[in-house]
Formats: sequence, structure tokens, C-alpha cells
Amino acid sequence: MRRISPRIAATVAIAAALAVTGLSDSALADTATTTAPSGSLVVQEDSTFLQNSLQSGIIAIALPNATPGFNTTTGLSATFPVTGGAVHLSGFYGAAQLGGGLLLVNVTNGKTVIFNNLAFDASKWALTGVPMGQTTAVKLLDPARPVISTSGTTQTLNSSDLEIDASGAAFVDNALGTTFFAGRQHAGTGTLTFTAGS
Amino acid sequence: MRHTAAKLFATVAIAASLATVAAGQATADPTVTPAAQDIVGTGSDTIQAVLNQFSTDYNASLTAAHDTTSPRLYSWDATPAGNITPKTGASTIARPNGSGGGISALNNNTHTTVDFARSSRGPQSTDPSTDDFVAFAQDGVAWAGNSTGNAPANLTTADLKGIYSCTITNWNQITDVSGYTGPNATIKAYIPQLNSGTRAFFLTAINGGTTALTPGSCVQSYTPEENEGTDSVFTDANVIFPYSAAHYIGQTVGGHTTTSDAPGSLTLRSVDGVNPIASNALNPTFTGSNYGRTVYNVVRDSEFNGTGTQATALQNIFGASGWICNDSTAAADIASYGFAALPAFACGAVVHS
Repeated sequence: MRRISPRIAATVAIAAALAVTGLSDSALADTATTTAPSGSLVVQEDSTFLQNSLQSGIIAIALPNATPGFNTTTGLSATFPVTGGAVHLSGFYGAAQLGGGLLLVNVTNGKTVIFNNLAFDASKWALTGVPMGQTTAVKLLDPARPVISTSGTTQTLNSSDLEIDASGAAFVDNALGTTFFAGRQHAGTGTLTFTAGS
Repeated sequence: MRHTAAKLFATVAIAASLATVAAGQATADPTVTPAAQDIVGTGSDTIQAVLNQFSTDYNASLTAAHDTTSPRLYSWDATPAGNITPKTGASTIARPNGSGGGISALNNNTHTTVDFARSSRGPQSTDPSTDDFVAFAQDGVAWAGNSTGNAPANLTTADLKGIYSCTITNWNQITDVSGYTGPNATIKAYIPQLNSGTRAFFLTAINGGTTALTPGSCVQSYTPEENEGTDSVFTDANVIFPYSAAHYIGQTVGGHTTTSDAPGSLTLRSVDGVNPIASNALNPTFTGSNYGRTVYNVVRDSEFNGTGTQATALQNIFGASGWICNDSTAAADIASYGFAALPAFACGAVVHS
């Protein structure tokens, strides 16, 4: 957690939003004999959740090499590329490592928190991230009402109800000095696609 | 080292269950003819006992709530062979035995005969995409050997693949298990019947987790009922047989046995050095491997996501917000019968082929 001025925070947020060029942070070094896993996690932010968070002064920014997106119909989204790991979605074990990070800013007081080392941990059934300066992952989002399918080596998870995890809510509220987040809050929808490496 | 597994697992068998579910099996086949509107299923042997317990407890919860109108839950066992008429007004069908049998019955009939199938395997490419496999717990499939026989306490995946593909036919060919020197004795490998979900899963797991191994000609043609170590063939010192680790825990720790549904002469063994059981429950390291599996109730998508009394009942029982995924009695049932709860928000997940 850091404290910065609201103006600086806004600058950071805008810069982060624009900085989407491909800085690879893949945990898997490419080798001549190995194909890294591929795929992505696409989070579509719920418009009501977005509106409420902005009214509370909270901005969430996907950091490189995640890709923010906007559609006039569906609103804001973020795409986090799969960079490694091994996951068995319908077996509920393993984890998919994701690129990029997540910056959360409270523009009313300048507090921020950044999550790196994002992953979808199937054994915890949650998107997790490690807060900057710490080593333990925090559960951030829970894909409720999941539908899982497999086609060849590609597994897909669709969640029509991506919910804020209770432990993540407590962590972020404490970091940002807010009381906005709560467990089971509907934050949007999510689609994870994972193609195994070879 | 040869009898280490027997001693180790005897400890498990002796350990007292802390679960609140009474020992013994819940009622097998329905004791009344289910009404036409009731939710009725058939299929897997592995999860039949826990579904019977669900039936008892779910129906009791409705009664306790003075709910006399909601559909009740009933489940028909996988055996004995013969015909059944699952509910009032249903077609008479050959009793489905195994996940494949239950799924076929679901697909070949309408809700006037069956509403769901118990499945201990996930969807296969041959299953219609209109079948929803609704997840409710975790299991692991290991193997069992005669408690005083010649099998080691542990076999590697390579050993198991060799045994079931018949490149390994004698215990003295097992050379990769530390401390084990196999005697010169022919291995007798058994496998459950063709419609068994445990069979399908085990043959895939030992073949690397993607496609099922075709059993070799040395594998015994007789197919014992799964999870029943009481079959007389298992008194032989050289037998090996796939076995649900959860069902084994349910039998040995939960005390859920019948005269036939019991470990009998068999004890559960390790795979790749990983014991399927830890602290009288499934070992997460084991279920987090190719040998871990999810168990399901399979329903028709159009009914599960439809409207009306049946859709509501299916969701109330199997759905993410339903009784199995949320009720503390159901959670106790899952634990008592040896299965592991799915992570939060995962129970009720719908899996498609």
C-alpha cells in the first residue's frame, strides 16, 4: 500500500490504462522444445458495480500486460493473458498464471494497492493476486455459477456472476481506507480460456 | 514391505468416524414408489450410497419444514440386475448399472421415467452437449489389492499402465517400487464393467489423463461390481482392482457398509508414492493429480434451466444455491461417505463435453 496525492493517483491510473504494450512477464521461459500454455481471462465489469465504485472514489486499472477494453454496449473490460501454469478446471485443481496486474486507487485519499502475480487457482476457485511488497496471494474474485467446457486441450470457464471475495474485500478496503467492498458483491462476468502447453 | 499397506490401512479402518452421519448404509432402493413429479435417478455405483443418504435427508428436511408438495428425491441402486419402474407412470427399464448406464437411461427416456443420472466420470465427447454434469464433490481413484497378498503398498503409473496393458504380468516385473521385491506370481488384474465411470476414469488416469487405455488380453474377463471387495475372487493373493478412495473411506471410516458393499479382502494402495488417504479423509495431493476426479449428478439442460415444478426442484436439490451445495446436513453426508467438498462457489458447477 502506498499513499500518493489524488492528482498523482489519477495520473498513474491514466498512464497505466494507456500502457498496454506488450511487456512479457511470462513465468515460463520459451524454449525450443516447450510451448507455453495460452489463453486469457476476460473480466467484464458490471456497469452498476463500476458506477458505485466510481462514486466511492475507487478506480480499478488493469496493468500491463493486461489489456483494458471498452465497448459502448458492454462497458469496461480487462483481458489478462495466460502466461503459464497447469490447471484442470473440472477437476478443481491446478492454477493458471496470468500476466499483468491490477491497480486500485482511492482518488479521495490517494491510497493505492497493486496486485501482481495474478492467477486463477482452481483449488481455491478464485482469481488471486499478490499485493506489491507482500508474498502471500489474496483471493480477489470468485467465479460463481460456473459453466466449464473442454474442447481438445482447451478448457473454458464462464461465470455469469463474478463476485468479490470476502477476504479480498477486507484487504482492499483496509488498503484503500474504504468501506465499499464486500464479499459476494457482484462485480461482473468472467471467461477463462486455458490451452495447455506442450 | 509387502504387507505394509494392509497394516497402514487397517489403522484407517479402526479409526472412529467423527462424522455425525450414522454408520450403516442409507436405504437402498426407494421404499415407496416415487410419485410422477419426484426427482428420480439411477447410475453410478460409487456415489449411490451418498445419494441414498441425500434422499433420506433431503426428504426429511422437506417434511420438517411441513412441505408436503415439493418433489422428493429418490435414487435407485446400480444393482441387482433386472428391470425397474423408477416412478409412477414411468417406463419399465433395465436397471442402469454405472455412470454410463445412468446417462444412457437419462438420454433414452424423458422425465416421466428418470430425472438425473449419478456419474463418477466427467462428460465425454460422446455425451450429448444437452446433458449438464452438475458437480457436487471430489473423489480419487486408486487401486486395491488383497490385504495379505503379493501386491506392494505402492505402484507407479507406469506399473499400472503396464499391468493393464499386459506388458507387466508378474509381480517380479515390478522393479521401481523402493523396498519391494515381487514374488514370481502372476498378477490377476480385474476391472469394473464397461458402463462403470470408475473404469473409464481409471483407464484414462493410468494412460496419462487424456485418453482411456484399452485393457490387454491378460486382464480378467470377469468384471466384479466396483467397490465391493467382498467378491470371492479377491481372496486370491495376486489380485489388483481399481477402487474409489472416497467409497473406501466411507466404508472403513464412515462405517457405511452392507454385506456386499464393503472392502472385504481388499485394502487401498498408493499411486506414485501418494497415499490416497490422509487423516482419514481424501488426500488433497492425491485428488490434485490425474487420479482426482469430480463426481456429478447429470441432468437435462432444458429441464435444469427451464421453468416449472421440475426445474425448480432440480435447482433446489442440485443447483449452486440448492440443498446439496449449501445445507450442513448434505456437507456432513459428503464427508461421512468419504468425499471431499468442492471449493466455495464450485459446487453446482455445470460441466459440458
